[in-house]
Amino acid sequence: MAVCAAIIGKDNSPKFFVTINPDEELQFQYRVLSSLDIVEDKLNSGVKGGADTKELYLGMLLSLEAHKIYGYVTNTKIKFIIVVDSTNMVLRDNEIRSMFRKIHSEYADIVSNPFYIPGEPISSKNFTTNIKNIMTGTV
Amino acid sequence: MRSSVSYILSSSTSEPNMSHPDYDQYSHDHAALLVLVKHIGTQLKPKLFSKFFDRINKLVNVRITDSTGAVRNILIRYVKDHPVENNDWGDFQTHRRLLGLISLGKYDCQQELNEICRVHESFKVKYNTTLFDSRCILFGPTKNSESPTDENPVSSSSGDSEHSETTIEKFTTPSNFKTRALFYEITSPCSDLESQLNEFVNSLFWVLDSKRVERSREKLERVSLLLAPFEKKDFVGLDMESRNNKKRCTGRMTKHLGDLCLQTGMLTESLNYYAQAAEILKSVNDWLWLGAAYEGLCASSALVLYPDMQRNVPLHRNASLQEGSPRKSSQTPPAIGLGIKKSISNALVPEDISKKYREAIIHYSKYQNAGIIETEASFKAARITVEQNHALQAASFLQNVVYINLQLSEQEKIQRFETLAELYSQIGFCRKAAFCLRLAATRYVSPQNQAPNWGRCYALMLQSLPGHHLNLDPVEMRAADQGWPALQIQLMQELVVAARRTGHSALATRHMTFLLQTMWPHLSSTEQKELAVQLQSLSAQCEGSPVPLVLDSGLVVPPANLTDIPICAAFVPKDLQPHLRPRRIECDKLDTGPFLFTPIHFGGGSLDRRSRKSSSKLDFLWVQNEVCEVQLKLVNPLPFELKVSNMRLLTGGAVFESVPETIVLPPDIATSLTLNGWARESGELELSGYSTHTLGVKSNCRLRHMPVSSNYPPYYKVQVVPALPLLEVSTSFPPSVSFSNFHDENTVTSASVSLYHGESTECIITLKNASEVPVEMLEIEINSILEPSLQEQIFRCDNTEINKFLPIPPGESVNVTLYFHSVANFLAPNASVSPTIPQDMSSGMFSSMNTSIPGGSIPSRFNSSFRSSNSGQSSIAGGLTTLFQQQPSTSVIEGQLKLKYSGAEGLSSEYCRTCSVFLMLEMLPSLQVTNWDVLPAEIHSQFYLVLDIANLTTQEMELQYTPMKTMLIEGNESCRVPIPVDRCPLSKLTGLYQELNEDSLDSRNEIDVNKICSEHITDLVDLRWHLLGTDNRGIALLKGINLTLRMLDIVRMSPLNWEVKINGDIIKAQEEITCEAGDCLNLKMSVINSLQKTLQQLTLNIQFYQDYENGTLNYRMDTRLATTGCTKKSVSSLEPQAKADHECNVIFFTPGYYKMDIQCCAPESLTVTRVNTLLSTGHIWRFTPTVSFQVN
Repeated sequence: MAVCAAIIGKDNSPKFFVTINPDEELQFQYRVLSSLDIVEDKLNSGVKGGADTKELYLGMLLSLEAHKIYGYVTNTKIKFIIVVDSTNMVLRDNEIRSMFRKIHSEYADIVSNPFYIPGEPISSKNFTTNIKNIMTGTV
Repeated sequence: MRSSVSYILSSSTSEPNMSHPDYDQYSHDHAALLVLVKHIGTQLKPKLFSKFFDRINKLVNVRITDSTGAVRNILIRYVKDHPVENNDWGDFQTHRRLLGLISLGKYDCQQELNEICRVHESFKVKYNTTLFDSRCILFGPTKNSESPTDENPVSSSSGDSEHSETTIEKFTTPSNFKTRALFYEITSPCSDLESQLNEFVNSLFWVLDSKRVERSREKLERVSLLLAPFEKKDFVGLDMESRNNKKRCTGRMTKHLGDLCLQTGMLTESLNYYAQAAEILKSVNDWLWLGAAYEGLCASSALVLYPDMQRNVPLHRNASLQEGSPRKSSQTPPAIGLGIKKSISNALVPEDISKKYREAIIHYSKYQNAGIIETEASFKAARITVEQNHALQAASFLQNVVYINLQLSEQEKIQRFETLAELYSQIGFCRKAAFCLRLAATRYVSPQNQAPNWGRCYALMLQSLPGHHLNLDPVEMRAADQGWPALQIQLMQELVVAARRTGHSALATRHMTFLLQTMWPHLSSTEQKELAVQLQSLSAQCEGSPVPLVLDSGLVVPPANLTDIPICAAFVPKDLQPHLRPRRIECDKLDTGPFLFTPIHFGGGSLDRRSRKSSSKLDFLWVQNEVCEVQLKLVNPLPFELKVSNMRLLTGGAVFESVPETIVLPPDIATSLTLNGWARESGELELSGYSTHTLGVKSNCRLRHMPVSSNYPPYYKVQVVPALPLLEVSTSFPPSVSFSNFHDENTVTSASVSLYHGESTECIITLKNASEVPVEMLEIEINSILEPSLQEQIFRCDNTEINKFLPIPPGESVNVTLYFHSVANFLAPNASVSPTIPQDMSSGMFSSMNTSIPGGSIPSRFNSSFRSSNSGQSSIAGGLTTLFQQQPSTSVIEGQLKLKYSGAEGLSSEYCRTCSVFLMLEMLPSLQVTNWDVLPAEIHSQFYLVLDIANLTTQEMELQYTPMKTMLIEGNESCRVPIPVDRCPLSKLTGLYQELNEDSLDSRNEIDVNKICSEHITDLVDLRWHLLGTDNRGIALLKGINLTLRMLDIVRMSPLNWEVKINGDIIKAQEEITCEAGDCLNLKMSVINSLQKTLQQLTLNIQFYQDYENGTLNYRMDTRLATTGCTKKSVSSLEPQAKADHECNVIFFTPGYYKMDIQCCAPESLTVTRVNTLLSTGHIWRFTPTVSFQVN
């Protein structure tokens, strides 16, 4: 079960941020923000490798005392970040991957919405509940 | 990375033997000789000290040739501070030992020199255990006082004991007391400083090398156990002689030798030792020392691979981004390094360095007391990976640092974060760096910190801004719109607090303003309110103003402006009032060639149809020294009343004087506000925004900094024209109640008057120059929807008179007279079509004509002539036809008096002002001629115009219809008046007759005749009326009176002069001839052509008839009378002034009343006559009046 999920735009500004516990949001924002450094670095090294990697999943970015941060980057450089409680041993890499894939498809849906202006922060309530469901694994 | 068995092996009871972490270490420092550079005394200025320190610090690499002839590359590390406790770890890692001491001091007198020497000695004592050698650099007084210091060694005995000791030692015995003093002048270049230092390093090296040799000669089996400081208690009671322990001793010593070799520049040996030591220590599970051996291995390998890696060299990560890290590492070492590398078997490949470091750190982590070693190792490892360009590895090493639980002072914790931040930024992890900087900043002021340092906190906060995508320039900030708003808001709030606590109220206000300006859309409404209130309290201490602030560090904080408080919903420059607008004085159109329009736009820009810039130029003009207005719509987004004071316009270009405005804005309601000002100069004026003073902050809200959504151009451009005069216009008439048809915004005043038809009046218009400049040009023009000719009759103004008034100096006024006349058609519209004058008024001639002219065709002829005569009438009256259709009701004429004036510079630049006075003339019906007819008068030269005049007013009217005769008409009554009028003389008609022979149509001639005759009547008849009740006077004209053919004959003079004699007597008009039945009356008549041309085919006709006075005329006279001679006579041609005579006799058989009609017919034209003989009556001239006979 993830405790926080974030969607970050091309310019590294947050487009969407949700935490299970709203009080911790700011704290998580700091963590997710610092994990972006690693995402950037991984992306740069990807470029260095020459071939554009098909793998969108970046794996674990950071392992903090209490949390693990996972990253996922779409081909359009939209970053998805999931923060997972590190005490949670149930979640395996595969689950994280599928979680990202679900988020990606949700994101694709919201971008297809004609009322959503690409680049704007996502404020759809429906989207938030969907993402929360993905995070809590109730989907 | 942390070992899961951490702390297991370390004794929890042992007292933490804390040394101070040195975060700045590089792995290369393992090979360096540690030298402390000390600043002694207060005489030496810190700046000078740091200058010398930098100079000394340049000498970090000394090449020394040893006894075997090999060149040793010795590294030196200079530090400014070294805690003594760190020496305790010298056994563990020899580079931690302080080997040398250089102290710098300045003295002016002997006492100070003594003091410096004493302090130097005390340092020597402090680091006694490890110190090999020391130097004391002394800066003496300049010039003359230098000589005594030079002489000091000579006169050593006379000086102070301590001082003499040092000086003597310097020169004599370096063996037992190794302080050598170097005397320099403060201003001297100290040229031998480097060589002295070189010598100093040499001495350190030789001592160290001798130690190394000494150690290496020891038998490895017998060496004592080397201990890390905290290990002392662990080995109490252990069997020191065990095989395991022996091995431990050997391993540790081997590692120690490796350290020494590394320091003395023997890389190969050190690698070998380290490798051996690692083997041995691994076997005995001596983790701590194994870690140290690995670290040493890494350090020496790094030295082989990256000999140039050193501090203070910024890493250009981006530049080397494309290159692979292995390639880079292979590139950087020089040829010697490569050679060594090849020969060295134990050297690690780059990838292994970080691996080994990782292992070492894991081993260290098993010991709680080795925390500092672990931390330092992490930093060193990170630096190597930075060099290798492995950002992620570096990040993981740095991440590890955070987890190490150290009992550190706050200061050291802060340093740790600062170093982390520095390294993070080196690997390009700017966010992480910013995070660390922020943590460091908060540490400075954490509650645990006994001495909070808000200044440092603020400085670090500032440094962390870029990592959060924060830029103190609000303009760029808003343009970029990047970053994480929630975090940015928090950071800015912290920054505000830090600035406030530091004492920079101005900065605090500035940052808060910045926060409100840039983060406004991201703030919730409660936050907005709270921050606004906070800003208010901050600005109470220091008012915010839009000027850049310069920090001590040289950082410039650009001004921030409250562009969202209040929100500007509209910014509209207003055109001047219409009558104040300057207008171009029209000049002749320039010839722009044959093309009026071209679709080709030269100079491009046709594609982007309406770019923002093009719309910024406003299409109206402002006038110098005239109040200019910009309308703002402001919305207060805060839930409380907001007072905005000192609002002004921000302008560029021409000089502009703005009037400050103050407004109190209620929450959430858009309030309109007008900002005024005067342009004090002509030219182009740029309106770039407005300034406010609210919440204690002065802001310059420029349009180009407004949110993009509001869509303002960067500025508005207005052309300001030179000063123009201003006229105040007033009239002597009351203003009109309504401004209806004439919708002209220029109208400044109005004048309305009611006039009866035919009445005239004059209106005085007063023009006052209300400006500072004289009026030098004035044009007056009257406009209306009427035709110009008619308009001229109604409104009249003397234009030539106006120019006499010019120029009108400021403050003066002039009067202009405007004449009004109520023009009307006094004739009832349909009267002429069907004359309804009763039969008794009509002459017998009418009936005779009807009979004489065969019916059918005549009416049609009449009709057509009337139709065309109507059009002829309209050519006179013009637009009046529509206007007067509803007669006799009241009608209203609207007009406009247009004033065009200018003066002073405005005139010279061809601008003027226009204003207009609305004129309303209500025309009331006075009288109307409902019917008219003409009757022959008693005198041949006159006729009677009989008019039915209706008084359309409700008052009694006195009508003067001839100069002598007046009559009173009651209100709404009508009466009939005969007016004797002179007949239309032939002279007026001659023109027509000359054309008689030409091919012209009857009707046209008739019209022309009609016109001439009606003009004739109009000229002669004027009906002067006078309303007795209201004393209004006026003149009614019969303009456009329409006459029938019959009337025309009466009106105009006959072209033929008649001379009729009966029995030789000339007939007098209105005279009855009395005779007896049976009398023979001799009729003699002659016709004289008074025209200028010859008349042809004239027929003279005499006809008798009886008028029964009841409308019946009897022409059957065969039984009543007889004539002798012809009653008809043809005259083939009649020359001008020629006379045609005819004679006949008549005998009346029965008594009665007879009449005789004598007429002379001329064919209208010859062709007509030929074609249609029935209509031979082209022209009939009658002898009037008809002759009456009373036969008894």
